[in-house]
Amino acid sequence: MKFLISLAFKNLTRYRRRTLITAGAIAIGIMMFIMVDSMLRGAEYESVRNLKWYETASARIYNSEYWEKRYQMPLDINIPDYKEKVQKLEKNGYKVTPRISFSGELILNVIDFGEDGSMSIKVTAIDPQKDSDVFHFNDTLVEGRFLKPGEDGILIGSWLAEDIGAKIGAWVTIVTRGNGGFYQSMDLEIVGILNCPNPIVNRNLLMMPISTASDYLEMEGAATEINIKLTDNANVKAETAVIKSLIGNNNLSVYSWEDLAFDFLAVLEADRGGSNMILILIFIIAAVGISNTMLMAIFERTRELGMMRTLGMSDSAIRLTFMFEAMGIGIIGSIMGVILGICINFYVVNVGFDFGFMLRDIDIGYRIQSVMRGAWNFDTAVIAFFAGIIITTIVALLPTRRALRMDIPSCLRS
Amino acid sequence: MIKIDKVIKNYQNGETEVKALRGVSLEIQKGEFTSIAGPSGSGKTTLLNLIGCIDKLDLGEISIKGEKVSSMNKKEKTSFRRQNLGFIFQTYNLIPVLSAYENVAFVLSLLDVSEKDVHTRTMNVLKEVGLEGMEDRKPAKLSGGQQQRVAIARALVKDPEIVLADEPTANLDSTTGEDILKLMKSMNEKLGTTFIFSTHDPMVMDYAGRIVLLHDGLIKSDKNRR
Ligand SMILES: Nc1ncnc2c1ncn2[C@@H]1O[C@H](COP(=O)(O)OP(=O)(O)O)[C@@H](O)[C@H]1O
Ligand SMILES: [Mg+2]
Repeated sequence: MKFLISLAFKNLTRYRRRTLITAGAIAIGIMMFIMVDSMLRGAEYESVRNLKWYETASARIYNSEYWEKRYQMPLDINIPDYKEKVQKLEKNGYKVTPRISFSGELILNVIDFGEDGSMSIKVTAIDPQKDSDVFHFNDTLVEGRFLKPGEDGILIGSWLAEDIGAKIGAWVTIVTRGNGGFYQSMDLEIVGILNCPNPIVNRNLLMMPISTASDYLEMEGAATEINIKLTDNANVKAETAVIKSLIGNNNLSVYSWEDLAFDFLAVLEADRGGSNMILILIFIIAAVGISNTMLMAIFERTRELGMMRTLGMSDSAIRLTFMFEAMGIGIIGSIMGVILGICINFYVVNVGFDFGFMLRDIDIGYRIQSVMRGAWNFDTAVIAFFAGIIITTIVALLPTRRALRMDIPSCLRS
Repeated sequence: MIKIDKVIKNYQNGETEVKALRGVSLEIQKGEFTSIAGPSGSGKTTLLNLIGCIDKLDLGEISIKGEKVSSMNKKEKTSFRRQNLGFIFQTYNLIPVLSAYENVAFVLSLLDVSEKDVHTRTMNVLKEVGLEGMEDRKPAKLSGGQQQRVAIARALVKDPEIVLADEPTANLDSTTGEDILKLMKSMNEKLGTTFIFSTHDPMVMDYAGRIVLLHDGLIKSDKNRR
């Protein structure tokens, strides 16, 4: 055994170039594995964060009947006297903000936009003073200013602004149906442009003050939703139960962000399946490379193998020698790969890659607008390290088996 | 010691069948220094491979030391070779990454020999073959004759009763080849080891105690030179 290990080690150092090339292939595979895994985890982490920061908050209160009809955004299925609920929740230490969401028609006039036009839109009416307690829109302002309470102003997402050619100071008209079904039109001045990192939001974001919307739409103190922010490590399920008991109204329901974003989470699950495929692919490519070089290594030494078999070395001992040799290559490659992976991960985590050109037009589910950054994951490095060694060792078995199936005289003659 | 009885061995070479051995019977006694002679293609290697238990015969029987090796399975043959047979090859077949010492000690590492014994036996046999002081050299740093000496040491270190050598001098110039044969002969006399070696070189035959001449897979003559 000691002899076999020393022989394997000597072969490793003797065929140094081959050892380094194979180890290099393994190292690149492992580096890619660590990098791709880091990026996917980073994308997932950032997506979830951007989802909570700009879409779902941590939890949300709706009228119990709202959920089924949420795509129509009805104003009459609402939370009456939202201020009272907001106060109550705030008194209990929760960060909350009310909102009114409604759909309508955006009318663009020829003076400000060069031509007349209209489009279907969704508008979110926010409390300019409280919204930032829960969401993070005020950090995303790229032009103009944030909303003031009670003004006839509107904020617009930068991609939507680009699409329609909106500028600060331009006026838009929104036509919608108020609470009760009457038609209402509002003239609003664009006061700010937001560049929201969440592409789903940035593509069609329109926000106006809740008090203005409340007046126009005759909400009579009602909101369509109350959003709640919880700490990162809060138990969301438990907290929603507490919130439910606090508001003490059977007509209202509390939804966690996971409830609200179930479709996103399903996409994420699918993406995860896809990313596992990428990782498996990386390992298959590496394995084929290893298998090939091991095959070469073994066939180069067919006569040597024949001699060893002639002298009575058992097949299992020969197999073990080549396994040790492959394991040595695997260890070198894995160490190199993990080191390389960690180095490149510094870049991936801190700088990232800009996929903005792609993410603007294609919705792949991730809530990332442009720069995809990685996330550190110690487990991955450990898994990649051992997988590199184990796979290399196992892969070496195939060519060894082929060589051992040759009869000894043929080995000696080669 | 070795009994070869009506051995037939055919090779399938694509469509055609090559009759390598066509009924060879032969007995070799302990301590003999036997040369299997004959032109190229006469079946020398085939016969040595069969005696060496690394090939399978088609018909007939071979027994060594009373054991019917021709009907052993692969594992039994491997173990039999390990315990009883030494081999010397035309192309030396040393492991290039190992020193002369390690190439010889390798054989003992396959057997149940204590580390201390491995050292003394390896050093002794290397001295016997005239390689004292060259133990640490790799094969690439040795001449052809020296490499074949390492191979002889490797064959003898486990003290086998039989050493098989297929054209051990074919890759060497005639003086070196003669030296190798002298060494083999002296070992044969000193240790009583049975040597069977093949050759197609008439000079080599001068050293043999017995010459078995093969021709087209049959024994043409069998002469004791003593
Ligand atoms: N593996 C093989 N396949 C086909 N024919 C073979 C094989 N090995 C040997 N032979 C043939 O068997 C005959 C005897 O070969 P061999 O024993 O090697 O002779 P020698 O060693 O005397 O030169 C030759 O005709 C050779 O071509
Ligand atoms: Mg031959």
